[in-house]
Amino acid sequence: MRVLELAYVIALGAGLGLASARYAVAERPWIGRAQVGAWTTWPKSGARDTDPYMRAYLARGVHLPLGAGEGLELIAERDDAGQPLDGRCRYAVTGVTPPARGWSLGVADPARGPLQLAVARESFTNAELVRDERGGLRIVAAATPEAGNWLPLPASGRFQLRLRLYDTPISSHAGELRPEALPRITRIDCR
Amino acid sequence: MSTIDDPRLLDGPPLPPGPARATATTGWLGRLGRGLRRLTLLTLMGLVLAGIVHILAVLLIPALAERDAASAYASLGNGGHAELVTPAPTGLPVMAEADPSSVSAVCSYDLGTGPVRVIAHIGSLPLGLTLHRRGGGVVYAITDRAAIRGVLEFVVMTQEQLDERLAQDEEGETSRELRVVSSSPQGLIVARVMLRRQADRSEAEALATSVACGPVD
Repeated sequence: MRVLELAYVIALGAGLGLASARYAVAERPWIGRAQVGAWTTWPKSGARDTDPYMRAYLARGVHLPLGAGEGLELIAERDDAGQPLDGRCRYAVTGVTPPARGWSLGVADPARGPLQLAVARESFTNAELVRDERGGLRIVAAATPEAGNWLPLPASGRFQLRLRLYDTPISSHAGELRPEALPRITRIDCR
Repeated sequence: MSTIDDPRLLDGPPLPPGPARATATTGWLGRLGRGLRRLTLLTLMGLVLAGIVHILAVLLIPALAERDAASAYASLGNGGHAELVTPAPTGLPVMAEADPSSVSAVCSYDLGTGPVRVIAHIGSLPLGLTLHRRGGGVVYAITDRAAIRGVLEFVVMTQEQLDERLAQDEEGETSRELRVVSSSPQGLIVARVMLRRQADRSEAEALATSVACGPVD
């Protein structure tokens, strides 16, 4: 009986402990994340004093994150209304970007597979952008061609938008950003 | 559990009717209660053990990692220059979550043979140099805005090597070299260049691979 009880405790401890650790670091961890509007960022992911969960996540793959002084990456999986980003819809990315020496806005697949795009353009940089007369930012993300700044999307399925700011002074206090300081993601319509 | 514990057997068969049956029921319920209490206690012990295993596993993953960037690209950069990983060299894994608007070149280091000097000549495109330790995580980051007369230069060393150098420095003289302490003896120096336009790719690749990394002497 004692052996059975001991086996139960060990099986429960080892099984639950290992499974929960694996689950906690399979994706970017919940600890250390900052949510600003539709954008999620991990300000400490490129810092020397990053938390153990982020470190374990980085160690499980070929990750070379932006350093804290080098830049900041922001990820959006939902639009401003909270709906998941879907390749069947058209989205407008408008507003302003925080001060940075350069930035790029790219499309990525959550499962990290290669994207099937209509045109081989996975990202936009600030230099490639055509701005309107007031200097505003407007990028239309859609699976079919659009006039102006068009960011091609996969024909269907979930995707992520990734905004990478290079050499930006905000990387150390990214968690205190206000949503107005980042581009807005608005759904235009869906097929 | 032995048969002695069974109250019905202690009472002796057959069970008499009336109050004796009520006693048997109470005994059965008592046993069930004791069993449940024991199970709850064992489950709590299992949960505490699970917590300890969880923390140990998370802390041990970086130390035991064999698929991290520093292990995957350990063979690159031995020629004294950083080597491109976007696209990944044949036979090596692809860098995860790479920005399509940037190029990266890496140079692996092993401080067991002495400190490593990194020299980068800056160009017109934004260049960032980062130090990634083995087991994930950025140890140090610097951009080309910190360059002096167009050159970004620093020496990577362990804490012991830094102490040694400080002891060797002349009294009262401040060293002009930038010294960076790496918390792990192995790691990667990553040169990342942002592309302003897709046409900048060849220039960016030339800039990233021109970063020199080699022994100090």
